[in-house]
Amino acid sequence: MIALSVAAALAVFILYTAVVGGATTQLSPSELAGHTGHVALVGTVVGPVSGDAHGAGLRFRVKDVSGTSRVTVPIVYTGSVPDLFKVGRHIVLTGRLHGATFVGDDGSLVTKCPSKYAPAKGSSST
Amino acid sequence: MAELGRAALLVTFGLVVYALVAGSLAAWKRRRRLALSAQNALLAAFGTTLVAATVLLVALARRDFTFQYVAQHTSRSLPLGYALSAFWGGQEGSLLLWLLILSGYSALAVWLNRRARDLVAWVVPVLGLVAAFFAFMLCFVSSPFVVAPAPGDGAGMVPSLQNPYMLAHPPMLYLGYVGLTIPFAFGMGALLSRRTDERWIVATRRWTLAAWTFLGIGQLLGAHWAYVEIGWGGYYAWDPVENAALMPWLAATAFLHSVMIQEKRGMLKVWNMVLVSLAFLLSIFGTFLTRSGVVNSIHSFSQSPLGGWFLGFIALMTAATVALIYIRLPLLKARTRLESLVSREATFLYNNLLLVALCLTILWGVMYPLLTQALRGETRSVSKPYYDFFLHTFGLPLLLLMGIGPLVAWRRASVRALGRTFLVPLLAAVVTGVALIGVGLGGSTPGLLTYTFSAFVAASIVLEFWRGTNARRAIAGESLPRAFTSLVARNRRRYGGYVVHAAVLLLAIGIAGSSAYQTVREPAHGLRPRQSMEIAGYTLTYRGLSTRQEADAQATRATVDVTRGGSHVTTLHPGKNWYPVEQQTSNEVSIYHDPRNVGDLFTIADQIDPKSQVLFLKVLVKPLVNLIWVAGFIFVLGSVIAMWPDAVEQRRLAERYAPAAMSAGL
Repeated sequence: MIALSVAAALAVFILYTAVVGGATTQLSPSELAGHTGHVALVGTVVGPVSGDAHGAGLRFRVKDVSGTSRVTVPIVYTGSVPDLFKVGRHIVLTGRLHGATFVGDDGSLVTKCPSKYAPAKGSSST
Repeated sequence: MAELGRAALLVTFGLVVYALVAGSLAAWKRRRRLALSAQNALLAAFGTTLVAATVLLVALARRDFTFQYVAQHTSRSLPLGYALSAFWGGQEGSLLLWLLILSGYSALAVWLNRRARDLVAWVVPVLGLVAAFFAFMLCFVSSPFVVAPAPGDGAGMVPSLQNPYMLAHPPMLYLGYVGLTIPFAFGMGALLSRRTDERWIVATRRWTLAAWTFLGIGQLLGAHWAYVEIGWGGYYAWDPVENAALMPWLAATAFLHSVMIQEKRGMLKVWNMVLVSLAFLLSIFGTFLTRSGVVNSIHSFSQSPLGGWFLGFIALMTAATVALIYIRLPLLKARTRLESLVSREATFLYNNLLLVALCLTILWGVMYPLLTQALRGETRSVSKPYYDFFLHTFGLPLLLLMGIGPLVAWRRASVRALGRTFLVPLLAAVVTGVALIGVGLGGSTPGLLTYTFSAFVAASIVLEFWRGTNARRAIAGESLPRAFTSLVARNRRRYGGYVVHAAVLLLAIGIAGSSAYQTVREPAHGLRPRQSMEIAGYTLTYRGLSTRQEADAQATRATVDVTRGGSHVTTLHPGKNWYPVEQQTSNEVSIYHDPRNVGDLFTIADQIDPKSQVLFLKVLVKPLVNLIWVAGFIFVLGSVIAMWPDAVEQRRLAERYAPAAMSAGL
């Protein structure tokens, strides 16, 4: 009984903290328009990739991973670029929309493994 | 060849379905010969699975590209060892590995307990059910033996998987995941046969311990691999797939502790059933997470047919387990009640609650994107701050309990006795805390708490060994080393447990040191040749770049001289490799292990500009990080001590449970 009641109290606690604080909304490029808050953008990299991640910023566009939407969003990003980053890869990065451009948080870019490969364990995030 | 593999899997499927159906019927109707035949089917299933596994291994070794699996995961230039490791590099192969280990474990467990007929009667069909699911997947959903016209060369293997760690890490994890099925099957078997005494726990104690050890080692290997190979300067990123292994490990840790309460005091019977089921279900869920890509994860497959099947199986097993425990609740009444909230039992209970709470918060974090997607139509996810918060909230009290628990008396402890017992550990904690603040390391609250708590736990472990050894010297008149070894040898479980506690302690110290006290520097404009940077007392001077051609990659390395206080320490070579076949670069980090602080100087060539020779260097100083890896060895040592066969214990248990087994007479 003690166990159950404490577990129940904890469950409520978890629910509370998880719903109220700490979570980041994930959006695909076609859903991004109008969101000015801090979000995580999930998409497929579209070329051309230009600029310098350690200078004025790496510039590229992303489109939806799946679906028929043809919307692409321009991105500017500074910080570490994961090894697997290239055109066609799925990426996640957090940041905020400034005008039409999504400005990524410094060092937040993470790539996802392409589906044909084995699940490469580990991560390029910090 | 592929036909042989397919046929072997089909036969396996038939055998395990037979073990399920005939085994259930035999246990239900108490038919001894039918039960034996179901057992034999389970033993034979291991043989046929082994045939299928051998076929795949031979195909991998011969790079037989008519096997689609071989073509997708290897290439001609891939060394033999890595080609064989492709067995668990893809989804079909790893399902086969699951089934192979499961059928091997099942055969061994049934064989070892063959005399306890009433105990294994219902275990056979439960194992058959789990094996039937995996055999079904391999036969009809995701077969490793699909053939196609052979391409000229295979697709090769991701460079980061071409690493010795990948030879050991996945099999270790699977040995752990799958091992949790055995105690689960015995637990369910006990419920089904209405024999809810402690026998199922005694029979599976070593299984749980072994599975738990494998799972722990598997995770540490994975962490070390990520640390040296992936090269972002960390070893754990709270990625769903990493969490997938951590959750069943935490549930199994809770189970390992709470079964002691059931054995000693006859309490927590329902709770133990819940925990063993939770550990098993989480291990299936972990396999599902790694193999389905349902949660956004950098490692996962995007679209896979496995998801629905796995989800269905998990739902079915969860429903069946909950229903079974509910139906048998009247049989799971505790023999005794908790007498005091200050007792050994109570500390075990707190430890369990904290472990399960941590496990469930992680599960909640992993499931959060799915739940918000389903409920609000918008995906939201939690990240490091969320997990770190709960690791601190539940992990730090857990650490402290590790020092308190072993010193508190069973049943009821008096406050005065506690005061005496805890004097030394408390003093150690206070002295450590004051000393840390004194030398200016009080800046991080979690770090400070970890170290004061660690001092407390370390003192209590040393105290336990000291008291035990002295008692033996007094009783048996043995010399100090002799008394020490015979103390451990006579109480393997207890002192093995303390050794594992010491390992967890080192782990905590290493994690706190390398996260709370780490220093990171990354010169914003990079370094030009002959430029220097300072970090935590080291001076790093960039000398220049060199390029060389390796077998399958073009390697670019920077030369970085490291000095401290004017004297040369080492030369590091961080860089990047370019793999033309896979069209991919990989970071090659360079690490200096500093014996002074058991820590690392960790350098990453984040970006290299070959024309201007500018190097964007990221440098991390991670004190005490090597204790994490040392902890791994001590962890294994402790587990082996606790698992080592103990003739005295065997005899005692045999006497205790023999009458029960005789009278049951199946």
